[in-house]
Amino acid sequence: MVLINLTGIQPTGFTLLAEGAQPKEGENVAVTVERLLAEDSVFFETAGGIGAVITTDTPYAELDAIADKLAFVVIEFPAFGDGRGFSLAVRLRKDFGFKGEIRAIGPVIPDQALFLLRAGFDTVDVTDERKAAFEAALSRFPGFYQSDFGGQTSIAHARHTAGHTIEGHREAS
Amino acid sequence: MYAYDTYDHAMVNARVAEFRDQVDRRMTGELTEEEFRPLRLMNGLYLQLHAYMLRVAIPYGTLSANQMRKLAHVARKYDKGYGHFTTRQNIQYNWPKLSETPDILQELADVEMHAIQTSGNCIRNVTTDQFAGAVADEVADPRPYAELIRQWSSFHPEFSFLPRKFKIAITGAAEDRAAVKWHDIGLVLKQNEVGEVGFEVLAGGGMGRTPVIAKSMRDFLPISDMLSYLEAMLRVYNEQGRRDNKYKARIKILIDAMGIDEYRRQVDAEWEKIRHVPIDVPDEEVARIKAFFAPPPLPVLADAATEVDELANANFIFKAWLANNTGAHKVPGHVHVTISLKPHGGIPGDATDEQMDLVAELADAYSQSEIRVSHEQNLILPHVAKSDLPALWTKLDQAGLGTPNAGLLTDIIACPGLDYCALANTRSIPIAQTITERFDDIKRLMDIGPLKIKISGGINSCGHHHAGHIGILGVDRRGEENYQLLLGGSGAEDASKAAILGPGFNEVGIVDAVEKVVAVYLGEREGDESFLSAYRRLGPDVFKEAVYGTD
Ligand code: HEM
Ligand code: SF4
Repeated sequence: MVLINLTGIQPTGFTLLAEGAQPKEGENVAVTVERLLAEDSVFFETAGGIGAVITTDTPYAELDAIADKLAFVVIEFPAFGDGRGFSLAVRLRKDFGFKGEIRAIGPVIPDQALFLLRAGFDTVDVTDERKAAFEAALSRFPGFYQSDFGGQTSIAHARHTAGHTIEGHREAS
Repeated sequence: MYAYDTYDHAMVNARVAEFRDQVDRRMTGELTEEEFRPLRLMNGLYLQLHAYMLRVAIPYGTLSANQMRKLAHVARKYDKGYGHFTTRQNIQYNWPKLSETPDILQELADVEMHAIQTSGNCIRNVTTDQFAGAVADEVADPRPYAELIRQWSSFHPEFSFLPRKFKIAITGAAEDRAAVKWHDIGLVLKQNEVGEVGFEVLAGGGMGRTPVIAKSMRDFLPISDMLSYLEAMLRVYNEQGRRDNKYKARIKILIDAMGIDEYRRQVDAEWEKIRHVPIDVPDEEVARIKAFFAPPPLPVLADAATEVDELANANFIFKAWLANNTGAHKVPGHVHVTISLKPHGGIPGDATDEQMDLVAELADAYSQSEIRVSHEQNLILPHVAKSDLPALWTKLDQAGLGTPNAGLLTDIIACPGLDYCALANTRSIPIAQTITERFDDIKRLMDIGPLKIKISGGINSCGHHHAGHIGILGVDRRGEENYQLLLGGSGAEDASKAAILGPGFNEVGIVDAVEKVVAVYLGEREGDESFLSAYRRLGPDVFKEAVYGTD
């Protein structure tokens, strides 16, 4: 597997915390939501960066209680067509103001690269043979009709103003 | 008409380049058919019974003469000289070669057309009233809003992998010619008490194996909130629509399960959060798009034209065509003209390259170079001066395009069925052909009056049989093609679901049954009562008796 970096973020190195195991002092760990929701503050203080591993089945509202304690989120797609993953990333950015890394894992396809970026993903874990196609797909379109979480302004706004993004607007309002 | 700017051109050209790369990867074997399938399905390319089928969008059914010429050219150069206009304001080519599809798309892109989102689990081509901008009974021209939705929904980062396909229809007139209540979302332009224009929003309509008529979400949505509200509706559906069973994945099933009130509550809660984020486009953008749809500069003309009366008195077919295929335009002295693609004995919705070229030429000569496609699979010249009608009709008639049956029994909607479709139970085209041959008498058809027959060769109901005054559904009965008869549906503002009358028939029996149903109507109608009104008053029993006998 290789990591495709969509946004130029500094990707998090982490280990998947085994069931029942405790994080080492300062270690970056990825943990299931179920467990995170059950853990106390000691757990969060011990680890370095804590990430949630969620599937597209996870209702976004479950993340509300922990989003501000997370350093990163890993969203697992069971199939590339499971578009709930895109809404989860949007919810994290939009509803919880989440600024950390959002990573996609699972069988997403190269032709989704720009959709992932625009929905708020930073990184994608892909098989080696898909790397080239993923990277090619990233530079395919010069613009889109929607403002997005990759920082791009919609064509509709670009036609009439300069440099107006969703991100900028939210902070201003 | 909307005209692309550099942004729109760059978008479709990038899409063509991407698709060309995908096809190349498939041709060299880098992609397997299994890997290629989702990619082609994002671009309207289906694998059918005999060949690939390419579905090209005609956004909200509006075409220029030049675009129509390009459609003719594609039919001639890349297909077998014809195309099929569908109920969703698309055109389908039945015989393209895979290796040539990128070239077809490039040719289409050159005239500002595309196949983006004509298939796949995304927001499909937005459809509307074929007479938009031409009739007096509309609150506003719906097409600027359809274009806004087209842009907003194209390559949407979040809504391109929905649980299932998603269809939005919009109408600006009280008389619903766009079947909005049969769509996942229906938008009806209206004015509120203080004269502002907005939408009534309907949700959860759909056909397929579970026909549902859309329910009202909101009585009045200001226009400036259109996109944020749609976004909230789509988000809740994307998150909660079922993905475990594709037959239960449409929004109608979600709304049925959670109830319209709960769905509305969740949408409103989400909408409150996003209303003020600039999803909605700036006012200048709405104004820019609206300007493209400014009414054409038609002169006010005299309402009577002697050359029309003279030909009408001399030629009954022309007279019938005037009565059935033309309708009042908002500018005096003009009409909109429906060009029937339903010649008796022909294939509903098919047009040859020569016919398409002719329609383009006539649009240039008589209709401000503008053409429309209706969900009833006909072509429309929206802005014709009455005095031009004799010349126009003569040319149409010579090309087999003068059938005077718009809105009558033989103006049948039929899906491709087993002649093309890999999912079909039965053929549907031959049933339409037999019915039109059986009723091949324009006087009789006019006596029967408005009657919509809609035929699907399978449960997916691409031929809208649930909304037919008379619906016909092809089913497979132990390996035999069998046809069910349904009565009483409507796709209009008084939408209703057609009900199955009784056991099915073979391909001859179904045509006999239609004839018996029509005979009951003619015997029972009161005054100038339409078929649908008579059925609603009488109920199914008299029809059942006539069709199945009393014993
Ligand atoms: C020939 C290839 C075609 C295939 C494989 C196909 C496939 C399908 C399928 C699977 C559905 C059911 C979707 C669902 O219920 O979730 C459907 C629905 C539909 N299709 Fe087609 N179709 C084809 C052609 C057409 C044509 C030619 C038209 C227009 C004449 C059309 C218009 C529609 C409409 C209006 C619906 C109903 C939408 C609804 O359920 O609300 N399709 N089609
Ligand atoms: S209704 Fe069935 S047979 Fe007809 S086009 Fe649709 S899927 Fe094919």
